Amino acid sequence: MSSRKWRITRRQFLIGLGTAGGAVALGFYLGKPAMQLKLAEGSEDSLKSQAKLPKTPDAWFEIREDSTLRLYVTKSEMGQGIHTALAQLAAEELGLKVTDLDVVQSTTRQGPKDSFGTGASASILTSFRPMREAAATFREMLLKAGSGQLQKPAEQLELTATGVRVKGTEQQALYADLARQEGMWEVPKTPPVLKKVRGFQVIGTSAQRIDLPAKVTGEAIYGYDARLPGMLYGAVLRPPTLEANLKSADVSQVSRQPGVKTVHVDLEAGFVGVVAQTRNQARNALRHVKAVWDQGKLWQQKEILDLIRPEGKAGVTFQREGKGSAGLKQGNVIRAEYRSPFAVQAAMEPQAALADVKPEGVKIWASTQYPFRISSAVSKKLGIKEETIEVIPTYLGGGFGSKINSQAGLEAAILSKAAGAPVHVGWDRTEEMTQGFLRPPTHSVLSAVLKDGKIETLEHRIGSGVVAFSTLPSFLETLMGADFGSYAGGKVLYDIPNRQGISYNPHLPVRTGWWRGLGLFANTFALESFMDELAAESGTDPLEFRLKHLPASAWGVRMRKVLQTVARESRWGKPRPSGRALGLACGSSFENLIAQVAEVSIDQEKERVKVHRIWCAMDPGLVINPDGAKAQIQGAVMWGVSSALKEEVLVKDGKITAQNFTDYPLLSLEEAPDIQTFLLEDGSGEPRGVGEPPIAPVGAAIGNAIFALTGKRLREVPFNAERLRSAGILV
Amino acid sequence: MKLNINGNTYQTGAEPNDLLLWVLRDELGLTGTKFGCGIGYCGSCTVHVDGKPMRACVTPVQAVQNKNIRTIEGLKKGETLHPVQQAFVDHQVLQCGWCMSGQMMQAAALLEQQPGISDEELLQGMSGNFCRCGSYVRIREAVLDAAKRVREGRS
Repeated sequence: MSSRKWRITRRQFLIGLGTAGGAVALGFYLGKPAMQLKLAEGSEDSLKSQAKLPKTPDAWFEIREDSTLRLYVTKSEMGQGIHTALAQLAAEELGLKVTDLDVVQSTTRQGPKDSFGTGASASILTSFRPMREAAATFREMLLKAGSGQLQKPAEQLELTATGVRVKGTEQQALYADLARQEGMWEVPKTPPVLKKVRGFQVIGTSAQRIDLPAKVTGEAIYGYDARLPGMLYGAVLRPPTLEANLKSADVSQVSRQPGVKTVHVDLEAGFVGVVAQTRNQARNALRHVKAVWDQGKLWQQKEILDLIRPEGKAGVTFQREGKGSAGLKQGNVIRAEYRSPFAVQAAMEPQAALADVKPEGVKIWASTQYPFRISSAVSKKLGIKEETIEVIPTYLGGGFGSKINSQAGLEAAILSKAAGAPVHVGWDRTEEMTQGFLRPPTHSVLSAVLKDGKIETLEHRIGSGVVAFSTLPSFLETLMGADFGSYAGGKVLYDIPNRQGISYNPHLPVRTGWWRGLGLFANTFALESFMDELAAESGTDPLEFRLKHLPASAWGVRMRKVLQTVARESRWGKPRPSGRALGLACGSSFENLIAQVAEVSIDQEKERVKVHRIWCAMDPGLVINPDGAKAQIQGAVMWGVSSALKEEVLVKDGKITAQNFTDYPLLSLEEAPDIQTFLLEDGSGEPRGVGEPPIAPVGAAIGNAIFALTGKRLREVPFNAERLRSAGILV
Repeated sequence: MKLNINGNTYQTGAEPNDLLLWVLRDELGLTGTKFGCGIGYCGSCTVHVDGKPMRACVTPVQAVQNKNIRTIEGLKKGETLHPVQQAFVDHQVLQCGWCMSGQMMQAAALLEQQPGISDEELLQGMSGNFCRCGSYVRIREAVLDAAKRVREGRS
């Protein structure tokens, strides 16, 4: 790749002509993700300077020496099926099959700085148009080149996996031969004509996942699997408490331990690491470090909860309609408080990376959602120019926000430099649960005034540790005021005359940050449970109550459809089997609309809520891969159920209580509900992200079903045995 | 020490108490078997030892000397996927895929060890393998489908 020379021939496209194999490549830029736009809004001029075109593209097609086509993308495959969906966009306009394209994730040396990484359900949103435009342009260029060589008009030609063919014949010009004709490669002056939505043949079909064949046989390589000859293993000493500071470390016994090659101490950074022949030896040797810690304040759960109370002057208004909170002065105020705890992402593959630091350059293989975060951290820490650091993203064994952090990459690089050999650092489960960032606890206070069976005023105060502010530069924090990650899903979108949303985002002594859906789960739980309370208060059916409050906008029309779909499919309002009840909730995020109905019962013997089934209707605008979208719904809903019923991390004596799955149990197959999915499309022809939004209504749908069944309102997740007991639901 | 894995004999320099998972992954390069928890809880590291499902992350290698170890790399026959693998592809079960070697090894062991296993017992037997991507709906569909395939003798 380093030999490729890119030149800009039109505003959005670049042509690259390689020196090896006569390869030609067409590159293009992705659109701005919704969240980046949000950042730009918040920071006004400060980000505008970044709008200049980079010298290299975000993604590109390449003709390989064997005449196959490769598609380079910057997005990480962590199970969401993004490599397949991106290939579908490209294959559509090329007139090829998904399997005709070899999709490869570019390394940090092969493209511009993707300052966004993979997350926030934004990959399709940002790629949809640029990817198709580039593919259509590339197709025209290939046909033109083929036309010259085959001496046939372009109309009589078509693309195959390996070349340009005369339709209905075997006569074909190989891509590799065409690629050597340097003079021919000019981007057409007129923009390509894209296919109409109703002409799509690949988009909208359930293409099989391209990463599955390697994953099903165990051959796929993840960060934890990366290997190099002569590699060693690293382990890092962890602080005993949240605020612990390393005072001194006596490592005289450590280097004598079996297999130990290097001990690295950086007292100022609080870092002690061991490199050994095996993982086990590295971890064992760490036990011989005689460390003296200043343990800092020993935080307790209650003190942290006090910090997130949404009251006082620190609040920032993120939404205000009509008279806002002032509307609460007229009429009887109905008030309720909702809470959610700390939680971890718990990706099944803990953080892992293999680093090879050499004087001539650095290579790091890592499970990461954000490769540039690693190269920039390593550059700063080791004083190495970032251009000489290549981060090679592998498959991820789950991300869910945790692998935006990718601290293991930095640790592996530090230890590789110290040992003068390739070093792998793979976190164990306890490190994964305690050393990354947690989903922050939340405390929502909702207040409303009803008038003639409708809501006149609704105020949502949200207290939460930071989410987006965990990784954004602090100047943005000042500019934006409220953390959009913390209040995600917290805006009131119903047609209510007076609305106000106020966010409180303290930095907590526990590092908090990204988690699937950000604040969506907690904020929608609060809002949609409260809607249910108000429906009950006004004596109206929860479905009818919601429909009554939908705006006349396009959003309102779409929301009506998803609500009515789940109501119809779940037979809402009809009698259920004895001991079961339904609950309804809806939500939206990234312009993707979701409604869900949950069917629950109480298992007195096992002391738990049993969720039998969840009906989920989603309108993401346009669906790229129906089966993939369903898989994302199933996954996000399962996350919501797991969080609503089980997941909770506490702080005790300055420590995080969760150490492994024994004290942070995940939902099991036996507890998993059936999930019925219904995909609606609004006819806009514009897709929106689907990875996170379906998590929004789950907590409220389950809580509302419990209320319908028992008459008891649960205002704090998880709905575990202890809370069921104190609510009098377990007898 | 010698280990018999997927029909091949491997010579290892491992200590008797070294755990099978890390010998497989780090020493022998068989990285298809995954690490999830290290306490035998989540099932990501499930392998077969003389046909029985075992958690490699808590199994010392000395306990499996002279036994037949099978890992995900040895599940298919030649180029033909095991019925469980084929069902997992057909139902597009995998998302991130990290827990899936363990899921498939668990299902394969249950089906091979207990040919008459009921659907209910099969799902019960899968309940100790955790998936964080939330693919349980499809795991259920796929293992029940695989059971059918095994009963009917097709792949």
